[in-house]
Amino acid sequence: MTTDTAKTSLGLALPALGLNAFLFILPLGYFFVVSFLQVKAYQIALSPTFGNYARALREYPDALLSTLGLAFIVAILVTLLGLAYALACRFLKESWGNLLLAIALITLFGGYLAKLYAWRTILGGNGIVNSGLMELGLIGEPITALLYNDFAVILALTHYTLPLAILPIYGALKAVDDLPIAAARDLGASGWRVFCDIVLPQCAQGLFSAFALTLLFVAGDAIAPRLLGGTSSTMIGVFIQNQFGFRVNAPLGSALAFTMIAGSALILIAVAFLGNRALRPRSAL
Amino acid sequence: MNSRLLAPLGVTIGLFMIAPLLVMLLFAFSSSSLLKLPIEGLTLHWFAALTETQGFYPSLVNSLLIALTVGAASTVIGTLAAFGLTAGRHRLRNVSMPVLVLPLLVPPLVLGIVFLSYFSGLGFRLGLHTTIIAQTVTLQPIVILILASRLAGFDWATVDSARDLGAAPWRIFIDIIFPIIRPTILGAALIVMALSLDDFIITIFTIGGENTLPTLLWGMMRKGVDPRMNACAFILVSLTLLMGGLALRLTRTRN
Repeated sequence: MTTDTAKTSLGLALPALGLNAFLFILPLGYFFVVSFLQVKAYQIALSPTFGNYARALREYPDALLSTLGLAFIVAILVTLLGLAYALACRFLKESWGNLLLAIALITLFGGYLAKLYAWRTILGGNGIVNSGLMELGLIGEPITALLYNDFAVILALTHYTLPLAILPIYGALKAVDDLPIAAARDLGASGWRVFCDIVLPQCAQGLFSAFALTLLFVAGDAIAPRLLGGTSSTMIGVFIQNQFGFRVNAPLGSALAFTMIAGSALILIAVAFLGNRALRPRSAL
Repeated sequence: MNSRLLAPLGVTIGLFMIAPLLVMLLFAFSSSSLLKLPIEGLTLHWFAALTETQGFYPSLVNSLLIALTVGAASTVIGTLAAFGLTAGRHRLRNVSMPVLVLPLLVPPLVLGIVFLSYFSGLGFRLGLHTTIIAQTVTLQPIVILILASRLAGFDWATVDSARDLGAAPWRIFIDIIFPIIRPTILGAALIVMALSLDDFIITIFTIGGENTLPTLLWGMMRKGVDPRMNACAFILVSLTLLMGGLALRLTRTRN
């Protein structure tokens, strides 16, 4: 490759890089700077401060922690379910595996709002679960505890992020060679040993991608808690959104957003570190 | 692997993923306004009621307009970038790729708010154009990723021999490269259009007073349960499924 073609080919990437620089990096940088400014008389004043971060940690520790906790639960659930599902897609008989993969791909395009709405119709007071149970005579009154709580939020967000998370795990599993597996089996390794020592280390990257995607999405979600969550448990996304709505405190809102992202990053670093240690290939005696 | 364990597990998870959608799609045709099983009768009444809803047609038109524009823009820009980054082996590649893909890692809510404060900070009027810009920025990484992975397996030997035989670069692109990767480009465009149609969070922050199908659905959702929403969700899901399904067919024939 000559330097000339290298230059032309970099030129091809210029529109994308320009768009990215001026409409993503710059806005994000601006947003970051705003988090160190303060609001005086409904105007953003140019006096730098760490006050917004202090306020975020002082006034919203419960929301931050419970949001990260909920995101962690969903990410673990989704990664485990995704792993089981991807294993089924990869190792079941081909026709079954393809059918399961098709289901995952179809639900990937099922729509975000449509899915949240579907859970509301299923879990609601007049929803399918309640009307079904009443029809069967198992309950006399609708169970109102199904909706408007963390359970409903976790269920709906697990349902939404699962198809997204299956793809990187399946991608990693597809690259796993059949030959070493067959060899290990011939040498007497149990299915569990093969799974732990051969399959799992090779799809660690895919598992981490799935975990990271889910964690970041759930930690930043503000719609599911609004539609399905209770009044007592509000996720940080709702507070962030409020700062840009009727509260009009953009600096505090962006400080909250960056605190949330930093918290998620800490979780990801910890998970990557622990995962690395747990999945390190065992040396042969 | 143990298929006696995997098969029931896979089927259960598969049902968990698809059943809620099927139920909702089914209710779009239920004659009763109560959402309960079994369904008493089938009707198209809710679709008719939906089309009479104020703002339905403008929302539909806006949704399609945004999806087409975003699809075209991010496909052209993303394809060029994927070429630039895979064909040339320059040092910038290792830096450019992560930066270009970064929007995918930022939660949509944060993206929406970032765009909102940037556009209003610059004094832009919000509308379809700001939504189109915001969606193009956030969805072009998907085109880049799909095309880059296709080009990673591309056989450059044909291109080299064409060049050795004296073909001009644009001839090489039109006669050799484009026909080979056309299905992937179309597939990427359709995936972006499906995601654009479905996008709610970034749209609601950047569209100002206009509506798309998802924001219309959101407006109805906040007022309570109403079977017209099932019809609206049905239309939305059918459109995205249609595009997504086509995209998967196109991209798979090559892989």
